[in-house]
Amino acid sequence: MTAEPDWIFNERIASDCTIGNQVVLDIIGRMKQIGWSESELFGIHLALEEAIINAIKHGNRESPDKQVHVAVRASLDSFFLEVTDEGQGFDPDDVPDCTATENLEVCSGRGLMLMYHYMDEVRYNDVGNSLQIRKTR
Amino acid sequence: MVDYQCIRLASENDISVVCLVDDKVMDAERVALLGNELLSLADSGDGGKVLINLDNVRFLSSAAINKLIVLERRLRDTGGDLKISNLRPEVEEVFNITQLHTVFDICPDAEAAMNSFD
Repeated sequence: MTAEPDWIFNERIASDCTIGNQVVLDIIGRMKQIGWSESELFGIHLALEEAIINAIKHGNRESPDKQVHVAVRASLDSFFLEVTDEGQGFDPDDVPDCTATENLEVCSGRGLMLMYHYMDEVRYNDVGNSLQIRKTR
Repeated sequence: MVDYQCIRLASENDISVVCLVDDKVMDAERVALLGNELLSLADSGDGGKVLINLDNVRFLSSAAINKLIVLERRLRDTGGDLKISNLRPEVEEVFNITQLHTVFDICPDAEAAMNSFD
C-alpha cells in the first residue's frame, strides 16, 4: 500500500526550456518545504532537470505546438516523477556509456547516467517518450 | 574589454581565474552563453592557462558540464591548460560518478590549482 502523497503536481507545460527550468525549481522548492534536505535534493534536482529539459529539447524539439506532461507525487518518504513528451521517443539502450574511456569527452549520455545513479528506479515506456523515476528516502 | 555575463574574470600571473556568476548553472540560454564566454578565454591567445573556481556553484546540469569538456578540449588542442578547483562535495561527486575526474585536473582549492600550472 502506498502512503498518500503530501503534494501532487500534474501539469502540461509548453516546450520552452525557461518554463521547464522554472518548473524544476518550483518542484525542488516544494520538496524542500516537505522536508527533504539540500543534499538529498541534489540528485533529484539533476534527475528532474535532465528529464524535463530532455523532453522539451530532444523530445518535442522545442516545438510551440507540443507540450510536456509533468506529474509529481511527493511525500516525506518518496518522490515520483513522470515526464511525457510528444516526440518520437528513443531507446535508452542506444545511449552510449559516458563513463567508457572512448566516450569520456562525448557530450551526450551523461544526464541519463546521472539519473540512473541518483534515482532508485528509472523506467521508460516502450516508445521512449515517457519516463518514470522514483526515489525513496 | 569583454563584458561577461556568466563569469567573473581576473588575471593572476598570466592565469585567467574564472568564477561562475550563477550558483545554479542550469538555464539553457545561460549555459549556452557560459559556453561561449568560456571558449572566448581559450581563443583570446594570452597563454591559455585557465582556472575555474566552482566555489559558489551548488548545482550544474550535464549541459553545463559539457561546456567545461568543450573548453578543456579546446585548451588542450591549443596548448593551453585548464584546472578546476573548489568543488562542493555534491558537485565533486558528479565528476566522480561520470569519471570526469580522470579528464579534468581537479584541485582542492585555488591556491593548489595556481601552483599546479607549469
